Amino acid sequence: MTGLLEGHLVVGAMLFVLGAIGFLTRRNLILMMLSVELMLHGVSINLTAFGRHHGHHSGQVFTIFVLTIAACEAGLALALILGMYQRRKSLDVQLWSNLGEPDLPRLVPEPTPPPAEEPVELPHLAPAGRVPRLPPRRSVGQA
Amino acid sequence: MNGIIEQWPLLAPLVLGGLAIWLLLPRDRVRGWGLGTLCGVAALLALSRQFGPVASDAARNVLFHLFGGGAVVSGVLMITNRNPVYSALWFALATLSVCGIFVLNSAQFLAAATVIVYAGAIVVTFLFVIMLAQQAGGAEYDRRAYQPELATIGGCLLLGGLLFTLQGWSRGVGAEGAGQFLKRPDGVAANLLSEPQPWNAVTVIGESDLGTLRGVGRSLFGDYLYAVEVAGTVLLIATIGTIALAPRRSQGTL
Repeated sequence: MTGLLEGHLVVGAMLFVLGAIGFLTRRNLILMMLSVELMLHGVSINLTAFGRHHGHHSGQVFTIFVLTIAACEAGLALALILGMYQRRKSLDVQLWSNLGEPDLPRLVPEPTPPPAEEPVELPHLAPAGRVPRLPPRRSVGQA
Repeated sequence: MNGIIEQWPLLAPLVLGGLAIWLLLPRDRVRGWGLGTLCGVAALLALSRQFGPVASDAARNVLFHLFGGGAVVSGVLMITNRNPVYSALWFALATLSVCGIFVLNSAQFLAAATVIVYAGAIVVTFLFVIMLAQQAGGAEYDRRAYQPELATIGGCLLLGGLLFTLQGWSRGVGAEGAGQFLKRPDGVAANLLSEPQPWNAVTVIGESDLGTLRGVGRSLFGDYLYAVEVAGTVLLIATIGTIALAPRRSQGTL
């Protein structure tokens, strides 16, 4: 009987460690969040395996709570990642190594901000209800 | 030192697996695909021989190896892929394998809920954000991992510690208290509503309602009613926080 539980625990531990390695090595913010979700999967396997081993529902109920928190976390993290992407135009986590106050020494050299884009002059529609300003009309005969 | 060498059935797959992950992680040089795959497969086979289930049920063994191996292989491919879109798709496959393991653990309702929540909502949202923020031609930060040696060694040490402890529990290798964590307690006095009830309906396979909607619901809304309320509050707060955090856009682009 313990053989069954043991195999599930091993798979859970391997998923947890894989998620940890992914979180530490990947530099993409979104992939770091996905690695955290992989770690949560490993924990969920552990909970359900012990729930079955003890013949009790508590493990499955805990897994439902893990699911709830994972959904919250994904929403909040994606909102944060979008905001960070809007500032630096990149998903590299190493651009955010300096989060100290401005008068503290920098740990890594400050990355160069992306070049500001020139505002493009686009044609506008005239406001409704007014006669648009038109270039002076030339009569046919003058041309 | 001898004690460490005696543990070679545990150490060999760990070293092989760590080597496989280190070889497969994205880097500037050419990655060792062939050697990495070989090492990874050897590590998985050795681990499954060491820790595989010994149930008499052959179908159960096959399903466990299918889903467990699928989850681990998908996880490795997820953390080693250069393209974040492929990584998200491998994560979806890992989620499906994990749901298969949930079914093996007689958590049918949970498996369905996880498929709906993860594959249906979270992965789609991640893909959406990846495609919003995708850079043309693959970004530099996706092509080079950050300190792969340190992270792989640390992860292998953690996994080795976990597996060694597990071995001590289940085989009774350690002190006299070994195996007591895996022993089923005689009677759990607390959380009576979470105990599975005998199930009389003829149509249901199995003799108790462990993992069915009825059993999980009785436990969830009986023993854990306040926790459910708190979880709902957390969801509400997270929704409000997400709306407050989401970037305002002056123009139509990200």
